[in-house]
Amino acid sequence: MDMIDRYLNAVAAQLPQDERADIVAELRDLILSRFEAKEEDLGRPLNEDEQEAILREIGHPLVVAARYRKGPDSLVGPELFPYWLFGVKAGLLVLGAVYALTLLIRLISGPDAAGQAIAQAFHGFFGAGLTLIGAATLAAAIFEHYGIRPAFLTRWRAKDLGAFGLADPAAWGASMAGTETAKATWMPRRKPKAWPGGEYLFSFLATGMFVLWWVGVLHFPGLRSFELLGDDVTITGSLVWYALFGPILLYAVAQMAVDLASLLRPHAVRMRAAAQIVIAGGGLWLTWLIFQAGQWFRLTRGEETAWIEGDWTMLNFDTLRTLGDGARDLAGVAGTLSVVMVWALAVSALSMAFSVLANLRRLARG
Amino acid sequence: MSLDPDLYESMRLELRRGSLVLAVLACLRTERYGYTLRQALAADGLEMEESTLYPLLRRLESQGLLNSEWREEEKRKKRFYVLSPGGVSMLAALTDEWRGINASLDKIL
Repeated sequence: MDMIDRYLNAVAAQLPQDERADIVAELRDLILSRFEAKEEDLGRPLNEDEQEAILREIGHPLVVAARYRKGPDSLVGPELFPYWLFGVKAGLLVLGAVYALTLLIRLISGPDAAGQAIAQAFHGFFGAGLTLIGAATLAAAIFEHYGIRPAFLTRWRAKDLGAFGLADPAAWGASMAGTETAKATWMPRRKPKAWPGGEYLFSFLATGMFVLWWVGVLHFPGLRSFELLGDDVTITGSLVWYALFGPILLYAVAQMAVDLASLLRPHAVRMRAAAQIVIAGGGLWLTWLIFQAGQWFRLTRGEETAWIEGDWTMLNFDTLRTLGDGARDLAGVAGTLSVVMVWALAVSALSMAFSVLANLRRLARG
Repeated sequence: MSLDPDLYESMRLELRRGSLVLAVLACLRTERYGYTLRQALAADGLEMEESTLYPLLRRLESQGLLNSEWREEEKRKKRFYVLSPGGVSMLAALTDEWRGINASLDKIL
């Protein structure tokens, strides 16, 4: 087999079967024409090096064959690349945050195994990150191959672009700061007559997930136990959760019903406001009952137990400042989680009170 | 300030890229095969790599702008290309567009 055949075989192997013979015949003619022209210039036959130099000028077989490909010549083309880049950046930021948080919890609960925890966090982050990049690239390649352009890429609306600003982590602090400038920059702008269905749908689905979990249909692994200093710690709910099982279920189902009604009649502002006042009022009452119970969860490690518990006296900034200073044993972890729980209940109560006030105002305005 | 040669080369190629299709269509008002077409383009100052030209010819043919046939010449079978009727119309339309762009650019430059 001579040099031209070896070259053409390498090209042919990359080409579609039905066009292979035709393209190879044309390339053979091109190569022979180039050889003949050079021989005419030099007035003698070409040696192997000179022939090879001409083949190199024509191009590497993979490159030459790739030029004949009919589909896209990149996995992520220039049109999709900005979306791909945003998806990958946002995904990596979320993954980074999740792994950092997991690592922090593991370091608090078991500092002895810090090295292992850090190694596992890095391993997990890079593994998940590469999977994310691979999945995003695969999705983009499918979009490129079939020329798919989803509606959310082509028919986007300016009011839905708020979340894109959050790709810059520097903006997160501003977004959370709640300043007027930050709100003006990062909060989604809502027109008075815009269809708010997305918000209701999200609330409906999220509450639906909670209801399914609450009644035992859905299970989230890792919610009932965690590892502390190498031992498993079991989390058991206190009696208050059993006592309030029905009211909490009713509260969630009522919220879903309001979301569904709002989805069907998104402009029925007064109806939703009235219903939300009742629901938020119910939520405030439930939060009060949970708070009054004083004990919320029991942590058990072997024979040892500790309670996640608290009262109003823990609602001060001095207690908040001691968060994380507790001992690394079961009682210390329970103490830390108690502070978190007290503040979570307080914030929840505040948010419901705010909801009542905001909806009262909405009701008054019509 | 000195000219960055890499940047210049990249922008020059970008500038040329769109005009090559027009040049190939114009050259194929006369029937030619790939090698002579490339020589004709080069003679008029438009050097083009074979790995770009040959796939471009097939693409233009699949788009219905060129017709081709295999014929023997100089003791070898060669594939000859020529503008199809659709290619003639396309060339006329693209030529008008090109002249329009040129006229605008002349005013700006």
